[in-house]
Amino acid sequence: MESLIVLSIIIPWVFALTVYLAKNDFVTNSLSYLLLPILAFFAIELFFGTLPVYIHTSKILDILMDVYDFGLLFFFLYVGIKYKNSLVISLAILQITLLIMALIMMPHSDTPNIFVDKLSAFIYVIVALVGVPIVIYATKYMDYNEKNKHTFVAILLWFLGVMNFAVSVNNIEWFFALFETTTLASYALISFRKDEEAINNGILALWMNQIGGVAILIALILMIKYNGYYHFTDILNHPKTVAIAALGFLSLSALVKGAQMPFHKWLLGAMVAPTPVSAILHSATMVKIAPYLLLRIAPVIKGTLLAKLLIITTGYVFVVAAIIALTQDNFKKILAYSTISLLGLMMLAAVVGTPIALTASLVLIVFHAFAKGFLFVEAGVLEKAFHVKYIKQMRRLVERAPITLMFIFFGFLNMTFVPFGTFIGKWMMIEEVSNFLHHGSYIILILYVGAGSAFLSILYMKVLGISVRKAHGIERIKPIKLPITFNFVSVWYYLWLLVITIFIAPFIANEIVPIANMIAGNSANIHAIGLSLQMNHSILYFWQILGALILLLLIHALPYFVKFKADIVHPYNCGERFPRYIETWNFECLSKYENYLIAFSIALFIMVVVLGGGLL
Amino acid sequence: MGFFSKFRKKSPWILHYNTGGCNGCDIEILATLAPKYDIERFGALNRGNPKQADILLVTGPVTKNCRDVLRRLYLEMPEPKVVVAMGACGHGGGVFRHLYNVENGVDNIIPVDVWIPGCAPNPRALIDGIVEAIKIWEKKSKDKEYMKNHSKEMIKNLGVNDD
Amino acid sequence: MISVILTIFAPILGGFVYGIERIVRARMQSRMGPPLMQPFYDFFKLMDKRPIMIHSFHALMGIMYFIAEWFALAVLLLGNDLLIAVFFHVIAVLALVIGASSVRSSYSVLGALRELMHMISYEPLMVLMVVSFYLVVGSFDIKDVLHYNGYPILDLPLVFIAFLLTIPMLLQKSPFDVAEAHQEIIGGPEIEYSGPFYEALYTGKWIEYIYVFTFAFLFGGSHYWLGAILVIFAFLFINLLDNSTARLDFRRMVKFAWIVLIPMAALNVILLALI
Repeated sequence: MESLIVLSIIIPWVFALTVYLAKNDFVTNSLSYLLLPILAFFAIELFFGTLPVYIHTSKILDILMDVYDFGLLFFFLYVGIKYKNSLVISLAILQITLLIMALIMMPHSDTPNIFVDKLSAFIYVIVALVGVPIVIYATKYMDYNEKNKHTFVAILLWFLGVMNFAVSVNNIEWFFALFETTTLASYALISFRKDEEAINNGILALWMNQIGGVAILIALILMIKYNGYYHFTDILNHPKTVAIAALGFLSLSALVKGAQMPFHKWLLGAMVAPTPVSAILHSATMVKIAPYLLLRIAPVIKGTLLAKLLIITTGYVFVVAAIIALTQDNFKKILAYSTISLLGLMMLAAVVGTPIALTASLVLIVFHAFAKGFLFVEAGVLEKAFHVKYIKQMRRLVERAPITLMFIFFGFLNMTFVPFGTFIGKWMMIEEVSNFLHHGSYIILILYVGAGSAFLSILYMKVLGISVRKAHGIERIKPIKLPITFNFVSVWYYLWLLVITIFIAPFIANEIVPIANMIAGNSANIHAIGLSLQMNHSILYFWQILGALILLLLIHALPYFVKFKADIVHPYNCGERFPRYIETWNFECLSKYENYLIAFSIALFIMVVVLGGGLL
Repeated sequence: MGFFSKFRKKSPWILHYNTGGCNGCDIEILATLAPKYDIERFGALNRGNPKQADILLVTGPVTKNCRDVLRRLYLEMPEPKVVVAMGACGHGGGVFRHLYNVENGVDNIIPVDVWIPGCAPNPRALIDGIVEAIKIWEKKSKDKEYMKNHSKEMIKNLGVNDD
Repeated sequence: MISVILTIFAPILGGFVYGIERIVRARMQSRMGPPLMQPFYDFFKLMDKRPIMIHSFHALMGIMYFIAEWFALAVLLLGNDLLIAVFFHVIAVLALVIGASSVRSSYSVLGALRELMHMISYEPLMVLMVVSFYLVVGSFDIKDVLHYNGYPILDLPLVFIAFLLTIPMLLQKSPFDVAEAHQEIIGGPEIEYSGPFYEALYTGKWIEYIYVFTFAFLFGGSHYWLGAILVIFAFLFINLLDNSTARLDFRRMVKFAWIVLIPMAALNVILLALI
């Protein structure tokens, strides 16, 4: 088991180094394809193996980690000085100071530093099954007028290893180091194109995530001062005594990493980078640290004031990000906002903290990872093969890019519609929360979930509406031949989503619920009866799942095969010639409130800091 | 003439189009819809949409601006369909006849099945005309019908090219 | 058993409801109105028209709307979770909206976008209503609601009122018929359908009647006479409202739903949860 864990972390790094040094197309392509079975095998072996696994590490590694920490922070300082950004500089100095303080105060602890339980293994699986295909995709994507392909793929590979490492550490100081390493990776990826905009956005991502790092360090110091321990397992073993302020700061770092509302700009900035960057940041790595962190500390913060404030904040982000997404025009930006929105929902589910809510959160993570990876891959295909970046350019996509549009359609369906995981997550949330409506925050939660899902559905239908628009028969379908790598990755995601959805009941009951039970400590009342899913007394019958799935599959795939034998006429336009262009609503009535909405989210954020952190 | 065509007479849906008349006929049409005459008791509805209409009720002398619109509306209606020209203007132009801007009646543009005379016709005359129209409509088949002077050229002029 | 029959014969039953509605509406305007079977006459007549369409995709979406609507009703009546049924209704909306926006007609596209506005108005409220049923009955199961011995309407008066005012949004009645808006955008999403394809939409709407009034029926609990009274009251009230009001702007509709209806329902839920 230990070797599997170490290998899952090390192998991506070794591959990354090889790719970086070899700078050879064959090596890059074959290694990235090779990584998929290797990592998937390790992750699945771990997931079904005996867990949790504790690994004691030697003292030297501890010291190395400290050195690495300082190296990293001084690199941030260097970046800040190089680009003359006072925020980065001051935050780096603050981090260095806080880190020194923490290291001086830090007592010796015998708790093992590496700790892999089912939750970590779950993230491993996602990294392997969702993250690696993006690397494969990047090998082809970078062939289209992009420079430094091999460096790029190497960074991506390295990032996967870092992500695996980050979810398997137990020591919060190490977690800080890896948290900041993901920050570094995102900085490197976002500013990869090295033009001015890319660097600006990279710096933005850097300083915003540094705030998260500062929050972790403050949490670490508080924890050392008040409790004397600084390991996740110790926190979980002493749920009553742990300083709530420290947990408050940990959740703040999660909010920052999860790009929640006042800090959402960095994730939007990621779209200037090549599309695989967005894909990997949004689906498998980076932002998934946020729900992961909250899931880790969920049993401790469950039911506290902090949890309720987090519910209000994240739920607010869920709705508002969906609303702002309506006003956007750039396809990748729309996807980014919907990620922010759904991350809010995941965290919302995680902080509710009951086993069923945790199950909902995990289901959302799985489906969001697959669907968002899928959608970004398709966005990249649109950009490179069809030169479509804005939704107004998506007209007649049904003719120009039928297969790609079908995939996008399917990805969107996965984000809100009925038999798919995102719906199941919301359903579980609402039914679970209905049990304890005595607190106002839970009623708000139901409104949030109802409203947010309605807004997201509207968003997706709006985008799909443009891309299917067509005056006359859909006859001139000429599928453009896409590179085999693109098709492989798309079909990979498509099939995974389809298979998981058909077997969603056993999948949730047998694979996801044990994780939630392990986190929460008691068991969720979710069972699979055959292929039907039972939760408490409600049953989602298999005929419902299958019926909805068939309906939606027909809706998104059938148009290309069905040809009615009927005469074709013009659309009705009062008998006038009909207009050549029809756009869609840009929801300008909402965009003028955008600043107010964000300002309110800042207020909520401060409320979490002040009240939830227990500073008052 | 199958099973379904027996029900034609039960639900004639009307599309009303004014091609530049004085609105006198239109007011009579509204009166026909209103409580006193209540044409809905025969199942007739004013749909305002050629795609779902059966009876094209045209008033006015057909001004040149309206010509193509009338043609398009006629072509967009699915068969079987009937055209009812209502009022004196529809019959060769009425008081507007031989004006520079007038096409002199509905008949010059599309084939007309029923004429309702009068300026403006009484609602009772209108109902009578619609009953006549239904009689003709019941005998019509589902074959495609064309407007007057139908040609490929004209179709091309009417529509726009596909984008 | 009854629910199976109701599901299978939903289009026919809905047709009768629509026929009654047309008569009631006519009588309210002191007209005589069409015969009761009028919707079926229309149905048969539409069968007999020459099929024309814009493109197959569009025509197909109309048919999918009908199937999805029927399926949502089946989920509501035969399934055992109200919340799932509410979410299933979204599939029908999806088919309608995608179909309507797939043609290059400004009316159709506007109608589709307004249909989306309808959705944000009623969707959160439907979710709240289902949750409030759960608070009263203690179960999301429709059978448990129908076997509940109390009177849900007494616990949920504000939710019922809110739902009553939501029905016009669901059934496209004035003052909230902004998506259909016959005088303005000529039927919105349904404008480009004709002949046999329009039939799918026409009957889909009938099924929607059954779907909506089933929710009204649930407010009676196990007292079916009360449920029936509520349904009849809702039916008459909606028609009265439809006849006596003018259409509102869609912004007003959304504002009304979000500022008046949802807080009202939420207030009821809060009071219920606290007491």
